[in-house]
Amino acid sequence: MLLRHETVLLAVLVVELVFFGVAGRNFGTADNIANIVRHSVEIGLLALVMMPVVLAGGIDLSVGSTLGLCAVLFGKLWRDGGLPWEVAAVATLGIGAAAGGTNALLITALRLPPLIVTLGTYSLFRGLAEAITRGTDAFTRFPPSFLFLGTGRVAGIPAQAWIFALVAAAMWLLVHRTTFGRSWRAIGFAPEGARYAGLPVGRRLAFAHVLAGIVAALAAITYTARFGTAKADAGTGYELAAITAVVLGGTSIFGGVGSVHGTLLGVAAIAVLGNGLSRVPATMSNAGELSGLLTGMLLVLALAGGAVPKWFAERRPR
Amino acid sequence: MSCLLQLTSVTKSFGAVRALKGVSFDLRAGEVHALLGENGAGKSTLIKVITGAHQPDEGAIEVRGERIPSLTPGEAHRLGIACIYQQPALFPDLTVAENIGIRLEDLGLFGRVRWGMRRKTAKELLRRIGADIYPDAEVRSLSMPEQQLVEIACALGAGARIVVMDEPTASLTREEQQRLFSVVLGLRADGVGIIYISHRLEEIFALADRVTVLRDGESVGTRGIRRSDASDPDRSGPTLTENELIQLMVGREVASIYPPPGTQPGATVLSVRRLGCSSSGVRDVTLEVRTGEIVGLAGLIGAGRTELARVLFGLTPADSGEIELGGSLITIGSPREAVARGIAYVPEDRRRHGVILEMPIADNMTMAVHERIFPGTWLRPVAERSLAERQIRELGVKASGPDAPGGSLSGGNQQKVSLARWLATKPRLLILDEPTQGVDVGAKSEIHKIIRRLADEGMAVLLISSDLPEVLGMSDRIAVMRGGTIAAIFPGGSDARTVMAAALGQAVGAGAPAEEESPC
Repeated sequence: MLLRHETVLLAVLVVELVFFGVAGRNFGTADNIANIVRHSVEIGLLALVMMPVVLAGGIDLSVGSTLGLCAVLFGKLWRDGGLPWEVAAVATLGIGAAAGGTNALLITALRLPPLIVTLGTYSLFRGLAEAITRGTDAFTRFPPSFLFLGTGRVAGIPAQAWIFALVAAAMWLLVHRTTFGRSWRAIGFAPEGARYAGLPVGRRLAFAHVLAGIVAALAAITYTARFGTAKADAGTGYELAAITAVVLGGTSIFGGVGSVHGTLLGVAAIAVLGNGLSRVPATMSNAGELSGLLTGMLLVLALAGGAVPKWFAERRPR
Repeated sequence: MSCLLQLTSVTKSFGAVRALKGVSFDLRAGEVHALLGENGAGKSTLIKVITGAHQPDEGAIEVRGERIPSLTPGEAHRLGIACIYQQPALFPDLTVAENIGIRLEDLGLFGRVRWGMRRKTAKELLRRIGADIYPDAEVRSLSMPEQQLVEIACALGAGARIVVMDEPTASLTREEQQRLFSVVLGLRADGVGIIYISHRLEEIFALADRVTVLRDGESVGTRGIRRSDASDPDRSGPTLTENELIQLMVGREVASIYPPPGTQPGATVLSVRRLGCSSSGVRDVTLEVRTGEIVGLAGLIGAGRTELARVLFGLTPADSGEIELGGSLITIGSPREAVARGIAYVPEDRRRHGVILEMPIADNMTMAVHERIFPGTWLRPVAERSLAERQIRELGVKASGPDAPGGSLSGGNQQKVSLARWLATKPRLLILDEPTQGVDVGAKSEIHKIIRRLADEGMAVLLISSDLPEVLGMSDRIAVMRGGTIAAIFPGGSDARTVMAAALGQAVGAGAPAEEESPC
């Protein structure tokens, strides 16, 4: 296969960059690029951990709600619990792990389908976040040292971009260079086959979901630091954005196929599209709707692009 | 006697496998024609040709003297061909009357259901076969044999003149069998032609007028049977005895194409005592396998051989009995535990369980030894490749290289990859489940040589195979399974007829007395 999915996606990204670079206003400025990065870090983080879950043939619809729950609990621990924000942040990662662990337990121990389990926890976690804040409470006035994570720069690069880069590198190594990634792939292709090969199928699936929970908590922290507030509606709809990026990035929704760099390209293609449209005068006023429309088209084209050659191949006379 | 169905020189191939090699078969009105053969002899394929599920590659099908150019399932239904499967295919949540109505009524779009009529028809049909079933009962609440009777009622209502029954008694008790037999004989008296498939010889001798034996996709002959109650002189061909029938099924002599054993078996590796697993129907299995020994596990499909292997490999853990491996009592709760203990299982369904088709050969070959070759979880591509290349060389896998996806290989080479995966674990006990099924002749004998070499190197091998000559030719001892347990154990080089008789439940020598088989 000469035309890899990732190559095509890279070309799409380059076309986007060139087009918006020419047609957009102040698109290519350092400030705007930093802006794109800041805005896509949370969805990017979620996509990075959604990827192994999907690779192993599952799905996690609850990551956006986990982000919301973690943001609220982080605020609660810091403001009402009186913990220093650093301690609260570490505790929040633990809460994320517990949320992911809940999914993992239901999926692996009770053998319930991930779609149903995470659809349930999607409502459950968001509902908990709303119950804790009674729907109105918002946590604000975080110390500057914390807000720096969402607004500051380190070596000229947005602070959260460093976190993102670190997670991305770790995920790449995990998926492409360790037996974890190998097992996820095997489970995604053939869950029964993986079991017959003696792979620890349940443990590997559980790990992917716990990881998703932890990184969703991390995203809750950068999200809160970026906006300066923690509310129950944090990260609403992010799970679908993450899944879109993962699938656009070439990870098969049926499992087995996919790469972390593809996911990164998927995140970038969507982020650049959204930002770019808001920089082009003709599309500026309705950039939000247009970017949704175009992302959808991109996704459908990407999926059809993969399916059409196969369709023809299957109908070729033998 | 009028001929209902006539098949002439029917052939059917699936890829390189020739399932039917020119089979001729005929069915007369008012007869029970038994179809017999070992597993994989072509019975199911022949049935599927008759019911229109498979189109034959060559050959002619005539129904009541009329040539049918292309028989589809719809066409078969219209011609009055019905098939009663072992597992009835009814809608469990609908009532008996509704199930019958769905099959028989042609409502069309916006058709109106006439409930009274539907119920009356159902009642009438059930009465005709003497079934005491309430038409408004939900099918879910019926027993398996009652569901079978509903199926038969459907066939009758559809005006079926040709009824295929595929192992109808496999899950019935004795009384239920007797009731079914009287229904079958009733149909026969009405002039229906019945094709009856069963592994139980006593049934065939009780019911059948004629029997056709299939072997390796060929018909080895149709014979008349002198039924116990028969007074009908109009029987063509010689009648035969049970022994002759078994001989027909087994056929060819066991050729000496199998590698000879090299060493004497040594210490006991695996010893199981009264092993059972109620969920998979394995019960009371006592068996030993020693180093350097190949123990063949013979039996019919559903006899519990694969189920036993799954228990030993931890896929369905045992719930009774003892497993002793290398002298110490162990439990095996999962495949991982089995692997850790040195048990390897090369599964029967290599496309679903043996090889991950989408993944490269190298990945497949190292899958069971991740901990060993990738310490610290980091992949080591160099070590992986060299292991894969060595295995490819040693087992003679024909592939473009270690990166070729498993699915790109032929069946025999996939089997070698599956085998290589397990050899990499250096097992003490190797369980092989149908290792040469769907494998071409050349690869088959290569696999045989590999198996023998492994045994000679000191591995204990449990060889499951439905290929009787293979079991007889390869094994140092042969354990015959039936009804989830070991029915008999024979020394290597035993007579095919003796082994087949034990598998069929005919009391011969050391064979256990025939008894009810547990449902599978």
